Amino acid sequence: MTLAAIDYVILVLYFAFVLGIGWHLRKKIATSGDFLTSSHSVPVWITSLAFLAANLGAQELVGMSGNGAKYGIITSHFYWVGAVPAMIFVGLFMMPFYYGSRARSVPEYLKLRFDEKTRALNALSFAGMTIFSSGISMYALGLLLKLVLGWDFTTSVLASAAIVLAYTFLGGLTSAIYNEVLQFFLIVMGFSPLAIMAVLKAGGWSGMSARLQTMTLPSGHTGDVMVHSWKYMGHTADNPMGIEAFGLIVGLGFVMSFGYWCTDFLVIQRAMAANSMSGARRTPVIAALPKMMMPFIVIVPGIAALALSQMAVGYDLPMKNGGPDYDQVLTTLMGKFYPAGMLGVGLTGLMASFMSGMAGNVTAFNTVWTYDIYQSYIKKGAPDSHYLMVGRITTVVGVALSIGTAYLAQSFNSINDFLQLVFSFVNAPLFATFLLGMFWKRTSANGAFFGLLTGTLAAAATHGLSMAEGKGGWITNLHTFPSPMAQNFWIAIMAWTTCFIMTALVSLVTAPRRVEDLRGLVYGVTDLKHDEEVNWYARPVPIAIGVAVLALILNIVFF
Amino acid sequence: MLDLRIPTGWFFTIIGLILVAMGVFFPGERAALTESNVNLYCGLVMLAFGGFMLALSRWGAKHGS
Repeated sequence: MTLAAIDYVILVLYFAFVLGIGWHLRKKIATSGDFLTSSHSVPVWITSLAFLAANLGAQELVGMSGNGAKYGIITSHFYWVGAVPAMIFVGLFMMPFYYGSRARSVPEYLKLRFDEKTRALNALSFAGMTIFSSGISMYALGLLLKLVLGWDFTTSVLASAAIVLAYTFLGGLTSAIYNEVLQFFLIVMGFSPLAIMAVLKAGGWSGMSARLQTMTLPSGHTGDVMVHSWKYMGHTADNPMGIEAFGLIVGLGFVMSFGYWCTDFLVIQRAMAANSMSGARRTPVIAALPKMMMPFIVIVPGIAALALSQMAVGYDLPMKNGGPDYDQVLTTLMGKFYPAGMLGVGLTGLMASFMSGMAGNVTAFNTVWTYDIYQSYIKKGAPDSHYLMVGRITTVVGVALSIGTAYLAQSFNSINDFLQLVFSFVNAPLFATFLLGMFWKRTSANGAFFGLLTGTLAAAATHGLSMAEGKGGWITNLHTFPSPMAQNFWIAIMAWTTCFIMTALVSLVTAPRRVEDLRGLVYGVTDLKHDEEVNWYARPVPIAIGVAVLALILNIVFF
Repeated sequence: MLDLRIPTGWFFTIIGLILVAMGVFFPGERAALTESNVNLYCGLVMLAFGGFMLALSRWGAKHGS
């Protein structure tokens, strides 16, 4: 695929706008709070779209369209089951404590609710995870641009990192959030025409379904599984993903999804930047609305690609090592449907998604490093201007570390698998800690810490005792899962359950904190005051009901 | 604080104009799998979205939101 001059004009124009927004916002930065937390000043429509965009990295766009071609509409469970319920829950039930506690970060909430060691554990693992995930997505983007456009890996990695660095350095979190909204619109504008054209070319949804139903997938399943999200969920052997309804709902829909959306500071930080308690609560709930529509932009083109490859129209799935190369489905489709001009918009959208994901990681890393590690353990009690300077330096260091990780990932391919594994060990039990901590005042600091540790160990043990596609089983193999995804779901379930039980048991035999210390942090001892200033229809609960009903309808329509 | 609707509006207005111009002056630019003038139609949608954002910010400035 080659780009025309006009495509570069569009790319450069986009760079100019994101840098311009950063430049404009630089004047608003007077304190470390302005730089690292936006000082509770951002309107709710902006925090909502940023909440979504920070999670919408290039890997998600590329990976989910690939999954669309590989697994079909079942992939939408990652949105309709694996995101929407958790987003509603965090908005309605947890945000009052995050926002109301006046904590500046999720680890700081843990410090207020429990103790220093729980915060340190969370802050360190989170800081490491953000650096590694931003590095890995940088690596993925560099690889893709090299493959598709022949761009030099180093140039594209360094150039995109430099732009993210420039606008976050100038305007801090506010600049990252504002740009994420522009990036979100560009992603939608750049990718939705592709979805529409690919589906129309394949004969519309019904024509596409009819064509897929007659084929047999490489996995041996009938093509009918491609267009039903629940019909083939009865048994792991019935669908190419190798999962069944219980593992899906409990493992993905409850443990993994709630563990991510309700505790990951990367997204929570956007909601905490909102300009009111009501705004903070509405942020994830409103974000759930576009979130549930994302499958139509990212998954459906992949399904259409599979259907098109079955028709004699001149589209074949990209191949690698004798099998389909699903990661290239999105870019090859763009090449077949977008002429010079629109192709520039599509590729700029891909760059935008990478930048929004990376800026999300960098700004979250900044805040956690500066407040939860530097201010807490390295230098306490310095004037605020010192922490502002540290925040700015951390931005540079964070970006540099991400670049280093990108090169590390380039040299050691297996490091990605290893890190994904570590993330799942660390993240899976977290939601049990937060659930007990926020809603049961008896939960003690030692209970939380011990529960987190044993939960992480339980995750590692489950991985060591089971196998899927030859992975895991490094202790001994007691059970073989039909797919790595099913294995992940069950690792999460074991970790969560262990953490929940151990936290509760240890809490019952250790001293709880005094009730006076828990005001604003725990349900039942907090005077919940919010929403007075807004009309009933703009309050979080009515919006949440509307969002839930819509999600239910989508599940029924694509059953 | 910066009204984000303004840069968003201008960005999509400019991109929309570029695409519409491409569609009008180079109607022969076609991708392999489609007969339609993709640049023109997508450009018009972006132009409309950009205009809508700019109109919203004007309306907001008048009504104080």
